[in-house]
Amino acid sequence: MAKKTYDLLFKLLLIGDSGVGKTCILFRFSDDAFTTTFISTIGIDFKIKTIELRGKKIKLQIWDTAGQERFHTITTSYYRGAMGIMLVYDITTEKSFENIVKWLRNIDEHANEDVEKMILGNKCDMDDKRTVKKERGELIAKEHGIRFMETSAKSNINIDRAFRELAEAILDKTAGREPGDSVDRVMKITLESANRISGNMSVQSVLTQNKCLPPS
Amino acid sequence: MPDCSATYETEVEEGQNKRVVKCKFCSSIILTPTTAAFSTFEYDLPVMKPNKDSTSPPETENISYFWAVKDMFTFFNVGFSNTVGNTKYLTCADCEAGPIGYHDITSKMSYVALPRVSHSDPV
Ligand SMILES: Nc1nc2c(ncn2[C@@H]2O[C@H](COP(=O)(O)OP(=O)(O)O)[C@@H](O)[C@H]2O)c(=O)[nH]1
Ligand SMILES: [Mg+2]
Ligand SMILES: [Zn+2]
Repeated sequence: MAKKTYDLLFKLLLIGDSGVGKTCILFRFSDDAFTTTFISTIGIDFKIKTIELRGKKIKLQIWDTAGQERFHTITTSYYRGAMGIMLVYDITTEKSFENIVKWLRNIDEHANEDVEKMILGNKCDMDDKRTVKKERGELIAKEHGIRFMETSAKSNINIDRAFRELAEAILDKTAGREPGDSVDRVMKITLESANRISGNMSVQSVLTQNKCLPPS
Repeated sequence: MPDCSATYETEVEEGQNKRVVKCKFCSSIILTPTTAAFSTFEYDLPVMKPNKDSTSPPETENISYFWAVKDMFTFFNVGFSNTVGNTKYLTCADCEAGPIGYHDITSKMSYVALPRVSHSDPV
């Protein structure tokens, strides 16, 4: 058997209105040649990242949507096995902020009830075009008892920090459980992820949906 | 860069990667030592260069040396592209350089192309 290279595996999702910057949060903004490669055309489905928290090696598997949020068709299959959700709005788009409440309801309906959430007010580099005050983000997060941060995928502000904090919150929860519990969950998720990626998707269908374009 | 097996020989120990496998461009760690199996076969992997026409089939390069990874969670840092046919392409998780290899959905095996990554001693 291959040796295990990690202690815990957390499946994390990005959720929110279309255009708020979810794909860019996963697919790092880069001004260089990489943005026009074969890879950027197909788009990234998920990333695996290893972080160390309190002496534990933690694998984060971070999923992007394939653009289903545009048709409000995010359902149970996308949420399955998720332990953490980044709920993203755009600080320059009022509507995306108002829809946070809708997304919270969607999560309640479809996701595991103990899923850890965090709200991100993205595009904080565009302060001149801001329509959603930071205080409003903080308030709604407080009302729902969840974490909040303003981020910029473009300027790489708070992105790593946000994922670390979300992972830390999940770790806090996991720590309170029976030791065997998290292991079972890891195994379950591995199977589910394997199932999910066996679903096919043509290049064409993702061409326009999953691209991180430079800001216009 | 020539696909030269002589330079790779020193990277293999007991059939596995002796050293850390990193991204050539940003040094992000892709695999830690002794986590992947050296394997040789021929595969046409799309090139890393920008391609102008995204709808036509991408230009490929024939690769013959790979690090084979059984469980995708063995990777330290890596990105998986959306599915094309039966394949997901692997990228650097920090700078998006790629494809650095591919993942076969049927067999669930992942293969990192040796010529597309760098190898170094752990610091
Ligand atoms: N200024 C700025 N633009 C961003 C940021 N994140 C994303 N964008 C832009 O917002 C648009 C939508 O981003 P995308 O990641 O595709 O959003 P998604 O639909 O949620 O996946 C693109 O034009 C991006 O360039 C950010 O942090 N700052
Ligand atoms: Mg997107
Ligand atoms: Zn890189």
